[in-house]
Amino acid sequence: MTEYLAGLWSNFMGWMSHWFVAPILITLLPLIAVLVLFYFLKLKRPRKEISSLALWRQVINDQRVNSPFQRFKRNLLLLLQLLLLLFLILAAMQPFYSGGAERAQYLPVLIDCSASMAAIDKPGGQTRLEVAKEHVKELIDNMLTDQRLALIAVSSTAQRVTDFTDNKRILHDALDQIEIVNVPSKFDDALRMTQALARTVSIETVIVLTDGNVPPQIDFELPFELNIQKLPIGGSNLAITAFNARRSKENRWDVFVRVENSQHEQLSAAVQLKQNGAVEGDDTVVLDPGQSQRLVFQVDSAGTSALEAILIPDQFDSLASDNVAYADLPMARDLTVYSHLEMGAFRHALAAQSEVALFPDDDGSRSVSSYDLLITDRTEDAELDAIVTLNVGVIPPDLQQMISVETGLVEVVDWNRSAPLLQHVQLLGVQIADEPKKGEGVTDQQFEQLGYEILAYGRAGPLILKKRVGQKLSFYLLFHTDRSTMPYRVGFPILVTNAVQIALRESALSEVRAHSTGTLPDRMLTPDETYSVIAPDGSKREFQSNSSGLLSGIAAPQIGRYRIEEGGKRVANIGISLLAASESSLEYVDEIQFKELSVAASETMIKSNQPLWPTLALIAFCLLLVEWWYFQRRPGGVSA
Amino acid sequence: MDLPSKNNQFTTLLANEVLTRVERMRLNSTRRQTNRSRGEHLAGKGGTSTEFSDYRDYVPGDDVRFIDWNIFSRLHRPYMKLYQHEEEMHIVILIDASSSMQLEDKFERARQLAAAFGVMGLMNVERVSAYSCAETGRAPDIMPPCSGRVSLKRLFGFLEGLEAGGSFAIDNAIEAVLRHHRGRGIAVVVSDFLTFGELQRPMNMLFSAGLEIFGIQILAPSEIDPEIAGDVRFVDCETNRTLDISSAGDLLGIYHEHRQILEEELSTLCRQRSGRFVSLSTEDPIESVLFDELLRQGWVQ
Repeated sequence: MTEYLAGLWSNFMGWMSHWFVAPILITLLPLIAVLVLFYFLKLKRPRKEISSLALWRQVINDQRVNSPFQRFKRNLLLLLQLLLLLFLILAAMQPFYSGGAERAQYLPVLIDCSASMAAIDKPGGQTRLEVAKEHVKELIDNMLTDQRLALIAVSSTAQRVTDFTDNKRILHDALDQIEIVNVPSKFDDALRMTQALARTVSIETVIVLTDGNVPPQIDFELPFELNIQKLPIGGSNLAITAFNARRSKENRWDVFVRVENSQHEQLSAAVQLKQNGAVEGDDTVVLDPGQSQRLVFQVDSAGTSALEAILIPDQFDSLASDNVAYADLPMARDLTVYSHLEMGAFRHALAAQSEVALFPDDDGSRSVSSYDLLITDRTEDAELDAIVTLNVGVIPPDLQQMISVETGLVEVVDWNRSAPLLQHVQLLGVQIADEPKKGEGVTDQQFEQLGYEILAYGRAGPLILKKRVGQKLSFYLLFHTDRSTMPYRVGFPILVTNAVQIALRESALSEVRAHSTGTLPDRMLTPDETYSVIAPDGSKREFQSNSSGLLSGIAAPQIGRYRIEEGGKRVANIGISLLAASESSLEYVDEIQFKELSVAASETMIKSNQPLWPTLALIAFCLLLVEWWYFQRRPGGVSA
Repeated sequence: MDLPSKNNQFTTLLANEVLTRVERMRLNSTRRQTNRSRGEHLAGKGGTSTEFSDYRDYVPGDDVRFIDWNIFSRLHRPYMKLYQHEEEMHIVILIDASSSMQLEDKFERARQLAAAFGVMGLMNVERVSAYSCAETGRAPDIMPPCSGRVSLKRLFGFLEGLEAGGSFAIDNAIEAVLRHHRGRGIAVVVSDFLTFGELQRPMNMLFSAGLEIFGIQILAPSEIDPEIAGDVRFVDCETNRTLDISSAGDLLGIYHEHRQILEEELSTLCRQRSGRFVSLSTEDPIESVLFDELLRQGWVQ
């Protein structure tokens, strides 16, 4: 019986918890009985002696007939006190109006602060981030007493702005500090961070405030409920989504600017191209909703030069950060290629390439410190500094335990025809005398784990591998071309040409792409040297190159030109642009697909839980005033 | 209310000036209820007074002393000369001396009015008697019937010696007085008439006893226009019974209605029995009551 009652009580409390923060305080209700008892014990009316009760008796009888509320009215003071106590108890139980907001005790709030959140909906309007902040402020203000919020700013990474806290001042201060980061949004990190938080506290629901401009698929297994609150989308937007240049002649570059329109309305704009600050060309675009257009400009550049593409919309443009893009043209020079004198087939093919400086000379005398392309069949040449290396008949040291080369005739079974090195290279029918074989139990995944990509397969193992280490790109032909029919095939000079093109691209001699926000491109500088990186806003930070001279991993969230200086002397000037079509399109996804389920974004903003106890306390205070007035009003002409 | 001081006044109840004016006034009875004893009130029937009334034919057996001989000498026929009969009228003054009359000088005003009516009666050669009923179960204080100016001292002495206090309800008091009284005339009942009892029966008894009812209700200002509010416990000063009232201020309207109804009921009771009724406040000056209000309403002349 006791257990049954305890179960009933537990169910009742659970039911009450839908409306009250502290339903247990309903146990204060018996105080009403105490109040009534005290009221009648303490009730003392002033006595008034009159000549006769006859008239007043008639008055009372008459009033009772006329007024059904007489009994009620007689104890108005008691009624007021009962109401006062009732409201106080209700206020203590902290009722709240559930506006669909989460009742969870620990509530992480993910706030998208990616580039698209800077979009405004009208001239002089609020950014999406400001709208999101308003909603979060409302959440904070209406936070129930037992709730803890944690704010997480989401851009391409996640930043936990506050721990779980119920301190509204801290939350407000932290919220104010969240700013737009001009990078594409990526929720993976934020969700993983939240998952990590869920290991310490119980997280049932996570609120996400975003403009919906997020990747439609996220490779994440949701351990909690995700409540995606989609903010109203911004207005129409024109953007530069791609900015690159390709060398057309020796000192001439074709510059490509892609301008895209969002899905709202037809827009027009003027596009300017500046080279080292001087306007080199301009054009206009008129784009229908969702359309894009590529503009081509031609510039001459013998040395390094800074390009800047500026979009000047004719109408309202909701996002300003994507209206400018930067690129840097390198100094024009020949591609430096090293190929050993004994590699005649390659040297022969390279000699036919224009704008290629081949090393060593036939007499073996000329050399430079670093090469753009190294083609070698010797392991000792690995010490040579080169951006792209094509190893022929060389097994990488870390694969020597996994691959053995035996003598035998082998053919190429399959190859990656879209790989840049093998584009338009016909390997079918090529006879190879070396037969690379995978070791017992070795799988392709093991190659991938070591960073290798298999470009061509033989019967018993890989034939061509690709690996990138930092800025350096290496290709491995696990067979020697001299022991194959390949040099006699049309594909061979194509293969060499592909290698030259790859080297041209990697060394940025033939093609230049504008760099996107995120991190500065890696740069080879003096080893172990301290460099100053000055951001577009003038902020300065110190970084040190590693032992091999690589300066990498420098965050570049701002749009503009970053300067790298060494002791006050400029070393490099790197332009950073948004160039994120997904962000500039201001498109939103209605549903995000996770590993096992999809979560729909809700356009209806959550109404935060409205705590009602301040209202009830105010009513109680008013009742107290009424009661005081009622009790104190003219003692009544009642003579003592 | 300040009563005149004894030193230079004939009575403490009425000032000498008031008394002088009252002595010249007389009660204006509507029914001429008189007694058989001779007096100064014309009885409305034939009698032997000096006041001529009418002539009639002589019939055998008539007292020949009343034949008008002058007419007989001219007409040679006997005519009887008729005279009006003058009889004595009894004025009964009943003063409610219960505790309720102690409130706010009501009893003093009742004694003043009783004195004024008594003086009018005595100065007009009526028989005047006075009764005061205070405590239930105790016989009323009685001033036996008397008449003539010589009885003024007696009247004032009786009234000045009265004490209020008790629970004698006015309806019972009237019945108690009628058990002692004999004689027709006017019954002046001075009371607040605030009683739980039924007044119709005592009024009928007064009427049956040949008394014209002069009902005078005296109320204190706090009874006419009470100023109360909030929760009050009323205590009946006669019975000590209590009545709890909440939001008394809201009930004043109903109280006034019931007070008006009581006045109208009392007035109706009196008028239906050829009597008069008036409700007075202790705030009204006695001169104003006697020489203005009662005079205008025809109570006195």
